[in-house]
Amino acid sequence: MKLNDWPMAPAVAAPEVYQQLGQITRQLHDTLQRLGVMPKLQHSAQNLPDARSRLSYIARKTGEAADRVLTAVEQAKREHDAIQAASKQLARRCGADPARLLPASEVLAYAVAVEGAATRIDQQLTDIMLAQDFHDLTGQVVAKVVSVVIDLEDSLVQLLRQAAPGEPVPAAAAAPALLHGPVVAAVASADVVSDQGEVDDLLASLGF
Amino acid sequence: MSDPTQLKFLVVDDFSTMRRIVRGLLKEMGCNDVTESEDGAAALQLLKVQRFDFVVTDINMPNMNGFELLKAIKAEETLRHLPVLMVTAEARKEDIVLAAQSGAAGYIVKPFSKATLEEKVQRILQKMAIAA
Repeated sequence: MKLNDWPMAPAVAAPEVYQQLGQITRQLHDTLQRLGVMPKLQHSAQNLPDARSRLSYIARKTGEAADRVLTAVEQAKREHDAIQAASKQLARRCGADPARLLPASEVLAYAVAVEGAATRIDQQLTDIMLAQDFHDLTGQVVAKVVSVVIDLEDSLVQLLRQAAPGEPVPAAAAAPALLHGPVVAAVASADVVSDQGEVDDLLASLGF
Repeated sequence: MSDPTQLKFLVVDDFSTMRRIVRGLLKEMGCNDVTESEDGAAALQLLKVQRFDFVVTDINMPNMNGFELLKAIKAEETLRHLPVLMVTAEARKEDIVLAAQSGAAGYIVKPFSKATLEEKVQRILQKMAIAA
C-alpha cells in the first residue's frame, strides 16, 4: 500500500469537526468562567513561565556554586601539594646530615613560601564558604515555586470539587506569604538593582 | 566604637547557611562575639535581654521579617541607637528606599563578597564615631 492509497477523511467533514471542537472549547470556557475557576487557573498558568525561570535560576546558581567550590579546592590542593613537596625536601636535606645546619636563607625561603601558600589557601577556604550562599538564595526561590504549585493545586482542586460535587476532594495547602526574593532573570529592570554598586548609588542619592 | 573586634554582633537569618557565612566572615574580620537568631521575633526577644552593638539582618524571614524587626528596634527607646545592616536578596529599589527611610544603617544585596561586608561594617562604625 502506497502512502497515497491511505483513506483520507472527506474534505467536507473537516470544517464541521473544527466547528464542533470550537463549540466544545467555548462551552468549557464559559462553564469554567461561570464556576469562577478560570480566573484563578489563568493566574496560576501565567505564573508557570515565572516558575520555569526560577527553576533555571536554581540550576544556574547550584552549577556556579559547584564550579566555584571545585575551582577553589583544586587551587588549594595545588598549594597543599607544593607545601608538602617543599617540606619533604627540607626534611630530606636535614636528615641527610643531621650535624650540618641548613643555610638561614634556605629556611627563610621555605617559611616565606609556606606563609604565602597558607594565605592563598585561607582565601580559597573563604571562597568555598561564600559559595554556600546558593543554599539561601535557591531556598528562597524554591519557596516561591512551591507557592505557585500550591496555587495551581488549589485551582485544580476547586475545579474537581465543582465538577464532581459528591466526591471527596483533598484540601489544597495554603500558599505562604513571601516577599520577592532573589532576582532570577538576567534582564535589566528599572525597579530592581543588579549589583551592590547600584544599591550604594541609590542610597547615596537619598543622602545615606 | 570604631573597632569591630570589640563589638557584640547579632546575626539574624532564617537560613543557617547564611548565618554561618556571615559569622565566618565576621570572624575573619576579628569579630568573635557573634550571636545567631533565626528570625526577627526571636532576635527582638534576644535584644531585649542581652546587650548587642551591631545587628546584621536578612529581610525575607518567617514570623517577623527584617523590615518589621528594623521598625521594632527603631521604635524601642533602649534599642534605637543600634546600627542595623540589612543583608538580603531583596533587590527592588523600593525595598532599599524603605530600609533607608526606616532607619537601616546599610544595605547589602546577596550574593555579596567579604570585602563588601567589611567595608559596610567599617563605614557604619566610622559614621557612628563621627556622630557621637
